[in-house]
Amino acid sequence: MGIARPQVRPDQRPPVLTRPPRARRTPRKMGASAAKHAVLIAVGAMFALPLVWMVLTSFKTAGQALTFPVVWWPHPFLWRNYPQVLSSLPFGRFFLNTFVYAVVTIVGVSISSSLVAYGFSRLRWRGRNALFYIMLTTLLLPFVCTLIPLFILYKHVGWIGGYLPLEVPTFFGSSVFSTFLLRQFFMTIPQSLSDAARLDGASEFYIYSRIVLPLAKPAMATVILFQFIYCWNDFLGPLIYISNTNRYPLSLGLDLILGDYTTNWSWVMAAASAATVPIVILFFLTQRTFIQGIALTGNK
Amino acid sequence: MRTLTRRSRQWRQIRIGLLFVSPWILGFGAFYLYPFLATLYYSFTTFTGVGNPKVIGFANYSALFHDHQFQTSLFNTFYYTVIEVPLSTVVAIGLALLLNMNVRGRAFYRTLFYIPSIVPVVASSLIFVWIFQPSFGVVNSLLSDVHLTGPAWFFSVAWSKPSFILLGLWGLGQPMVIYLAALQGVPREMYEVAALEGAGPVQRLRYVTLPMISPVILFNVIMSLVLSIQYFTQAQVIETPPGSPGTSTLFFVIYYYQQAFQDLHLGYASAMAFMLFILVLIITVVLLRSSSGWVYYENEQQ
Repeated sequence: MGIARPQVRPDQRPPVLTRPPRARRTPRKMGASAAKHAVLIAVGAMFALPLVWMVLTSFKTAGQALTFPVVWWPHPFLWRNYPQVLSSLPFGRFFLNTFVYAVVTIVGVSISSSLVAYGFSRLRWRGRNALFYIMLTTLLLPFVCTLIPLFILYKHVGWIGGYLPLEVPTFFGSSVFSTFLLRQFFMTIPQSLSDAARLDGASEFYIYSRIVLPLAKPAMATVILFQFIYCWNDFLGPLIYISNTNRYPLSLGLDLILGDYTTNWSWVMAAASAATVPIVILFFLTQRTFIQGIALTGNK
Repeated sequence: MRTLTRRSRQWRQIRIGLLFVSPWILGFGAFYLYPFLATLYYSFTTFTGVGNPKVIGFANYSALFHDHQFQTSLFNTFYYTVIEVPLSTVVAIGLALLLNMNVRGRAFYRTLFYIPSIVPVVASSLIFVWIFQPSFGVVNSLLSDVHLTGPAWFFSVAWSKPSFILLGLWGLGQPMVIYLAALQGVPREMYEVAALEGAGPVQRLRYVTLPMISPVILFNVIMSLVLSIQYFTQAQVIETPPGSPGTSTLFFVIYYYQQAFQDLHLGYASAMAFMLFILVLIITVVLLRSSSGWVYYENEQQ
């Protein structure tokens, strides 16, 4: 019958395995718990208010948005603000441009950051740590310290006006954040796996692509997710390099809306919702990947 | 003979290591080192982007010292940074501590506090202009419910920077989640020992929790410092013209952007950039130096 499991009575269980016993609900404890919830609810309301207000405004008539004191519930409830504002500018193109930008840089980051992270974590070589620290310090370098020469360089090679200045660097490990995150994850994979493969004569590239990368799927998912959100939000990069409205990403398109429709706040908020809701849905679908990824970057 | 083979093996390892990190080495040279050195060079020239830069020595730097706009932009950035960084650190740790306690609905609150930080930055800027709109905004409406007259927020010289600070606080989900993870890494036994020795909640926070998460605090503080010194996007989106009202939101990078991309004073802007580099360098070194006094690394003690 296999090995008999030792029977552990509930009161003998080792303490690590049990949840701490629920505190008895003395009046003082209940007061403290109520105070905690009061603080959390108050802070939660402040965090939620801007988003709630965005969504509510997006369904109002332009006139109803401009009442004071405010009216909370939209009446009438105008769904058509969305199709109207989204067709007032080529938002389809903006979404597509953003999407292409994201996909290309995701490919770049996935390839280059994982290779570099492998070199900085799974291999031991002289100079590794020195180079790694140099890479980390580039995180602290303000972007303005490199911007002008890069702009002139890109002008010479004819890249201004398109996404190449934002895409090409990602193929050369420009996303230090992703490299760092992958390195942290690679370090948690037992070194014995690589050693065994090396004894069998596997090449380093084989170990990287067939052993380490398949084990690092969760970390790669995090990197892809963060890169997608980075592109979705990126305003500064496109602002500097993209000038033709047809090539605008979503962020620049949204910025146009504010300039064009300052009097129609329902439209502005409908456009803001249209840019926000997909990313919030993505967050809910991938919440676990997300939170773990952020926690990983905080390690050391 | 033996040393020779060991040496050649070492070389082989270095070669393979360099091969793997070579994408970054190329990228570092092309996208960091070269443009950084070129910025330093341009800072000693006048240059409009066409033709050749003309070397003028330290003239750009001495002009910076007499440029009131530049000083204003430094002041505004300093104002924002000095309030935003400590405030967001305290609030993020505070929220993380709250979430780390055994409260019902913890996952719900964590999600709620985190979501604003993934809202696209242009969208969150639009949302904040709207809720803080002086005449029709919901914030001033709520204030009038309690018989207060709200200010003009983003459109008031006195309130524009505090408004941006509020916008910054709304998006502190990222550091909060990092602090929460750090708090969950503090061994439970340490609290039990502290409690046995009679430490109250405040003492436990002061002598157990904060020292244990201090490396994470250092990391977050440095990252948020570097970000707030480069504050740009929200101010560029919200204020028309950027820098207004008056010069109250003329942040450093806003002024840099005007100098570089509107007036094409590329040499002058490069000198600004290099000054910013020196500033970030000084702040980081001071922080890292001071950190040996307040950052506690567990492994060092053994």
